[in-house]
Amino acid sequence: MKKFLSILLLGLLSLALYGCNDDTPTDRIEITFWHMSPVGSASFSDTRRIITEFNQSQDVYFVKGTGFSFWDYWDKIAVAISSRTAPDIGLSTIDDVPIRAEAGVLYNLSELIEADPDGIEIDQLYDSQLSFATYDGHLYALPFTATTRVLYYNLDMFTAAGLSADDVPTTWSELHTVAKQLDIVQGSSIQQLGFDPTYGNATYHGYLWQAGLDFFDEDLNPTLNTQGHIDVLQWMIDFNSEFTRSQLTAFGDANTMLGINPFAGERVAMMIEVDSLYQTIKEAGADFNFGVTSIPVPDDGGIRVNWGSGFSVEMYDNNKNTPDKKAGAWEFLKYLMSKDTQKDLSETNGWIMAHQGAMLEVAEGDAIMTRILEEVAYARDKVYVPYAPSWHGNDWQSYYNDALTGKKTAAQALADARANYLQKKANWEATR
Amino acid sequence: MSELMLPKQKYRSRKKRARIVRLILHIVLLLCSLVFVFPFLWMLVTALKTPAELLRGIDVFFPAKPQWSNFIDAVQKIPFFMYLKNSLIIVVLVVFGTVMSATTAAYAFAKLRWKGRDKWFIVMLATMMLPIQVILIPTYVMYSWIGWLGTRLPMIVPAFFGGGAAFYIFLMRQFFKGIPKELTESAIIDGANHFQIFLKIMLPLSKPAIVTVALFTFMGTWNDYFGPLIFLSNPDHWTLALGLRAFQTQYGGQYNLMMAASILIMLPTLIIFFFAQKTFIEGIKFTGIKG
Amino acid sequence: MGKTISIIKMRKQENLIGYLFASPWLFGLIVLGFFPILMSFYFSFTNYNMVSAPKIIWFENYRILLTNDNLFWKSLGITLYHVVIAVPLGIFVGLFLAFLLNSKIKGISIYRTLFYLPNVVSVVAMTLLWMWLFQPNFGLINQLLKPLYDLFKMEPLGWYLDQDLSKLTLILMGLWTAGGSMVIYLAQMQDIPVTLYESADIDGASWFKKMIHITLPLMTPSIFFNFIMGLIGSFQVFTIAYIMTGGGPSRSTYYYAYYLFDKMMNDNAMGMASAMAWILLVIVLIVTVFALRLNKYVFYLGEDS
Repeated sequence: MKKFLSILLLGLLSLALYGCNDDTPTDRIEITFWHMSPVGSASFSDTRRIITEFNQSQDVYFVKGTGFSFWDYWDKIAVAISSRTAPDIGLSTIDDVPIRAEAGVLYNLSELIEADPDGIEIDQLYDSQLSFATYDGHLYALPFTATTRVLYYNLDMFTAAGLSADDVPTTWSELHTVAKQLDIVQGSSIQQLGFDPTYGNATYHGYLWQAGLDFFDEDLNPTLNTQGHIDVLQWMIDFNSEFTRSQLTAFGDANTMLGINPFAGERVAMMIEVDSLYQTIKEAGADFNFGVTSIPVPDDGGIRVNWGSGFSVEMYDNNKNTPDKKAGAWEFLKYLMSKDTQKDLSETNGWIMAHQGAMLEVAEGDAIMTRILEEVAYARDKVYVPYAPSWHGNDWQSYYNDALTGKKTAAQALADARANYLQKKANWEATR
Repeated sequence: MSELMLPKQKYRSRKKRARIVRLILHIVLLLCSLVFVFPFLWMLVTALKTPAELLRGIDVFFPAKPQWSNFIDAVQKIPFFMYLKNSLIIVVLVVFGTVMSATTAAYAFAKLRWKGRDKWFIVMLATMMLPIQVILIPTYVMYSWIGWLGTRLPMIVPAFFGGGAAFYIFLMRQFFKGIPKELTESAIIDGANHFQIFLKIMLPLSKPAIVTVALFTFMGTWNDYFGPLIFLSNPDHWTLALGLRAFQTQYGGQYNLMMAASILIMLPTLIIFFFAQKTFIEGIKFTGIKG
Repeated sequence: MGKTISIIKMRKQENLIGYLFASPWLFGLIVLGFFPILMSFYFSFTNYNMVSAPKIIWFENYRILLTNDNLFWKSLGITLYHVVIAVPLGIFVGLFLAFLLNSKIKGISIYRTLFYLPNVVSVVAMTLLWMWLFQPNFGLINQLLKPLYDLFKMEPLGWYLDQDLSKLTLILMGLWTAGGSMVIYLAQMQDIPVTLYESADIDGASWFKKMIHITLPLMTPSIFFNFIMGLIGSFQVFTIAYIMTGGGPSRSTYYYAYYLFDKMMNDNAMGMASAMAWILLVIVLIVTVFALRLNKYVFYLGEDS
């Protein structure tokens, strides 16, 4: 028994020391690429095919792709970047490119583009996204994907309520009128809800933008203290005033990680959500009729805008990369950003890719996708605030919630939130 | 006569009472089990759902038509057996290493008098108080310096040196302290040294505790995905727990497959637990020991 | 005579042997643990953002946290609330389960395995279960309580979505994994010498008396263990709030470790997060050192009392 145990341990130890070797051909330069399609995910085999096609197209470089689950990718890349062991090429978020550019962990892509002007079809990319990837006048990343928010509406529910696609609202007041016709209440419990401004992926700053307002001024000082700000928040609070807030929260409870969504679950007739909900519904094979349209705007002077973001694709400078590796990463980046690959990636992942020409071809014959794509042109990304990078999320959430539950008035919640941003700003400046 | 009858009657009524007590116990246990079995049941029904049923979230409990093929899909979509091999390599070595380093250190803390022992004890507890996230990056940097990235060493070697074992050292210490002093002292008088005492008295007498340590280490390592995610750079070294994460896509998606695979990787832990807890019944009792 | 000398000699050697036995752990701590721990201490005096090189700002992080950060104190308070309720409750439930499962009835192995199940199922499965049970609108618990709500004409409880109940709901959810400490209690129960029970039987002691006078005192080493571990663990409570409530509603479950996590991942303020970690270490260390004084009430069979 003891002998067996020690042999087993020894065997395992030697296995542990000599793992499988990777399969890079020895005569090629290995380029590492990190993505979000791990082995086993639905998009894995196509992602691997896309990489293999590149490897077969030339015989100098060999790209080795590693996929991590979307939920794990950020931890992995953050640790890798800070320890300077990042892959040669990888994905990240586009709104905070400047902090990485400033730290010198990214290669200056403008230089590479200058030397190789036909490499990337820059004019096919969205200007607003490019400006986010720019630091000090140079591009340090390229937009890889784009996201956008639209109003989803359940046509079956419209029909059941005696409405049609023509009744889909375009302004806030229309939205309210139509939503009320779609509410179904049984006794004290909600069975179906027309619309709620807090559901799905709608955000307060999204509504603010539509009303021509914002969280911060040009110098990144928090605003929030005007009557306009209060009015927008109040509109959100009062939209479904006939129900209590806890009723509304409970009914609309969602969990992205678990894929629980009130619109997909056919509980809500209209909801603001990101473009990927379309993919989720389509892939799950849901059998209800639905459509998408622009998010309704305020009645007077409303601005057609929605919050959109995206992934960036970046080349990491670990301070020890050979010129060969840099050149190889650039070759692969060009391949990734080419029209054909972008088209392929969109079909593989269900993403909206940054390449506009590629996306027009992907969306051909798909009415909903075409409609979603139209909205991308009106997408605006949130500003990166160094003292509060999560200003729209954690920093705002509790004040927002206090206002919704009536614990604080809209004005009070906004004033408190503003005070918090100011405190964060002062604290951040003190650590510079 | 009556004096003769009495013990028998007493015995009978006692037996009857014991039966009632046992019945009540069964009922209580069954009710409690229900509460504890629920998560597993939930996993099972989720594993058998179609994507469309998943989308309806918590509205649907039982799948209309159980999708047993999800289990096959889950195994085929990931290199299940490669991951299994990797998990086994890491788990077996970590369990072995942790039991070794935890029991030796615990013996030092429980039974030996050495300078600075109590201070080191506090230090040991303190190592558990620092949230792991803040030492993650420096640890990673350190491993990259000594060239361990791309190997399995970061997952295995620390276990042999008490890495993450503070919990188990403390646990073993509590058990060792419960072993009567007379045993060790008489062994010393018989000429045994501390290594012999440790191997021949301490370890055999604390079998339930060692099983507990091994069990917890096994569970912790087997289910850990974060350590492998950060420290295993080579995907060929990935473990089951990490490999499973592939089913957790950005927007929900395949968590029926995830549950199916989770059940498959859970089964060995359950079987191991089933056998491990048996030592808690046969457990060692110090019958013949006199104070 | 010879034997006495050998005992004295061994005592002298004990110092060396003590270090020898502790050496694998000590070696690991000093060689593998020292550098990361020292670095995090150093980061706490810098404005490190995990990307750029850190710049030393001395005590600025500590000053800000202690004097100009409302959330620091708020999250600390929430964490203390959690510790004070969750630790005793966890011990109680774990002990209760252990007593329940320390009998020799048929099928006890099955019961134990079932009770341990929640410790092995995936976190996602647990989350779904909790939602299914506690979700205010569709959850099983509110469905069962509906007659009561109707009777008292009250609004259904909001559980984790209600800011007054959310902390307690999370504590309740945490009890599902009490099977872990149950295992430790069960293991300890096997170490109790049968002779003690036998002599108690001769004295005619009842089951209850045996529990109070024999089992419970001899269980104190593992109760003490679970208490200290519960303290250390509860001060770092995070995952359950991260998954179930996102720290909300209205920051009611915004635990200290959650705030630390946000500082690191959302504010990119690793320096600040490290300072928070070291403040937490000091707090927990002080509490633990006080808690260790309870050691004198712990009954170790192997030591003179």
